[in-house]
Amino acid sequence: MSVVLGYDESAGAARALGVAIEWASAFGEPLVLVFGAAPPGLGGEEYQSHYEAVRQMGRTALGRAVRTAEEAGLETTVEILDEKPAEALVDAAARHSARVIVVGSWSESPLRGALLGSTPHKLLHLSPIPVLCVPTTD
Amino acid sequence: MTHGVEREAQPPAPEEVGLKANAIGFLDALVIGLNATSPAYSLAAVIGAVVALVGVYAPGVVLASFVPMLLIASAFYYLNKADQDAGTTFSWVTRAMGPWAGWLGGWAIMMTGVLVVGSLADVAVRFGLLAVNLDDWADNEAIRQPLAVFVIIALTALCVIGTEASARVQRVLILAQVAFLLVFAIVAISRVYADNGLPDSIEPSWSWLNPFGEGGSPLTGGLLLGVFMYWGWESAVNLTEEVEDSATAPGRAGIWSTILLLVTYLSVCIAVVAYAGTTFLAENADEEESIFALLANEAMGGWDWVVLLAVSTSAFASTQTTIIPASRTALSMARRGALPRQFARINPRFRTPDIATWWVAAVAIVWYVVVNQISENALFDSLTALSLLIAFYYALTGVACAVYYRRHLTESARNFFLIGVGPLVGAGLLAWLLVESVRDMADPENSYSGDSWLGLGPPLVIGIGITAVGVAIMLVWRVRSAAFWSERRGVVDPALVPRKSAAGKES
Repeated sequence: MSVVLGYDESAGAARALGVAIEWASAFGEPLVLVFGAAPPGLGGEEYQSHYEAVRQMGRTALGRAVRTAEEAGLETTVEILDEKPAEALVDAAARHSARVIVVGSWSESPLRGALLGSTPHKLLHLSPIPVLCVPTTD
Repeated sequence: MTHGVEREAQPPAPEEVGLKANAIGFLDALVIGLNATSPAYSLAAVIGAVVALVGVYAPGVVLASFVPMLLIASAFYYLNKADQDAGTTFSWVTRAMGPWAGWLGGWAIMMTGVLVVGSLADVAVRFGLLAVNLDDWADNEAIRQPLAVFVIIALTALCVIGTEASARVQRVLILAQVAFLLVFAIVAISRVYADNGLPDSIEPSWSWLNPFGEGGSPLTGGLLLGVFMYWGWESAVNLTEEVEDSATAPGRAGIWSTILLLVTYLSVCIAVVAYAGTTFLAENADEEESIFALLANEAMGGWDWVVLLAVSTSAFASTQTTIIPASRTALSMARRGALPRQFARINPRFRTPDIATWWVAAVAIVWYVVVNQISENALFDSLTALSLLIAFYYALTGVACAVYYRRHLTESARNFFLIGVGPLVGAGLLAWLLVESVRDMADPENSYSGDSWLGLGPPLVIGIGITAVGVAIMLVWRVRSAAFWSERRGVVDPALVPRKSAAGKES
């Protein structure tokens, strides 16, 4: 089994990384870092530039997270998937038979989250395995 | 202990990008093809002016403007095959003809997007108000303009947030708008034949399809607006990817969306001319913005809101779909070092190019407000200026295609005509149109509103102004950052050139 973490550059994700490392260490299982790189919106003109820019952002973000996880002595796998974040996480969790999916939340009001479409919110509906939401530290 | 495997599912390898068979359904593809041109908005914005320019020969002009579009679409298709990773005109022209031409092409695309947003929002608000019977509000600039600005801001926010909640709704609306337009055309034409149209209605005649009926200057003006009507259609061409070897849904949909578009434009155009008759159109020549609304009301009676709503939703939808490509062009240019880095910033939360998007909106709003203050007929002066820019970057793309593939043009008759001659002729036609229109517009008498700015027609001043600002920004940026200007011209990778052996598969 493994621990799957959805990671981006956000403050919530930074704290989620810490929690995911704790869990992975506690169970002695590998950590899977996932970044869903599909940009929002339909295809169309110059889609590819947008896509590349998002992927690049994902690589930078995951690069830093991998270093942190390796310092903690964890076996780490990185996945940049061509899917929306929530779908990417569910997909990766299935393939790595994950114990839990860890995500950072933006700690905002439920209404705002619903309007803006929050990944943890979507994930809770989609995921067949437990989801651990880590709020941002203030 | 550690293995940093980067598993990249579905990598953007050249042969995998684009539309895979059955990757999208028939309806999706049809919608993509139609969405790019947004027929209801294009008709509502342009038909009054085209009819005012060329009278009963409007259908002919609409048909004729399709020809250069078809030829340029071939250029888009082949360039897209060769360089899918980076995007459209900006990237292609840079590769084929060097950074200077590429930068100007990118600038033209970005500006067309920026300029049209104001007009789209204006039409969306105007027809939206008409649809709910608030006719007074629609004609009142003090109400309409703030609403349009609000619409731009709200839709930009949606673009930044990247919400997709409305995607499904939009699909239904796009198909509905075409259906409504066709209903309007059928009702109007059948009323002409049943003799209960307007008193001056005339029965359609084949001679209307002759684009040269009105001759010279009106023709170039009409064709330029016609190009605007088909603007965006080239993205439908990329749907035809696999049409020859297998009857896949996207391929058929690409063709169907083209046919549907042509049929819709022609039938609505014929319906308008036939139903209203030339006298009515001449009498209402000052109200081009609302001629479509006026006719909808005349022909459909109490059901006119159906047509008005179709136009309004079409304009709403394309406001959003116009902001996105414009901001992505800015993103693409910034990533290559052709614009300041900040434009390439991706919002970590929403994963959209937020700075580029807000800039597009800000310039669009300023443009919309300013032009409405200084121009008698802002909408049409803007649209005509836009058409100049569109003709410019389409022509540039056509030339870039032939240049990029220059070593492979004589390999087969197919390459020679579809990649070489076709795009060049298309570029030539558009360049001719550009020169003729510039010459016409140099005389304010010929300009649409008849205004004179600095002794020239307003659209020309707008076009020249945008080009001048572009060149100025380009020169400043050239001095401040050399990165982009070190890019060199290249030719197509021979492996990507369509070959005879693979012809069946690749067409």
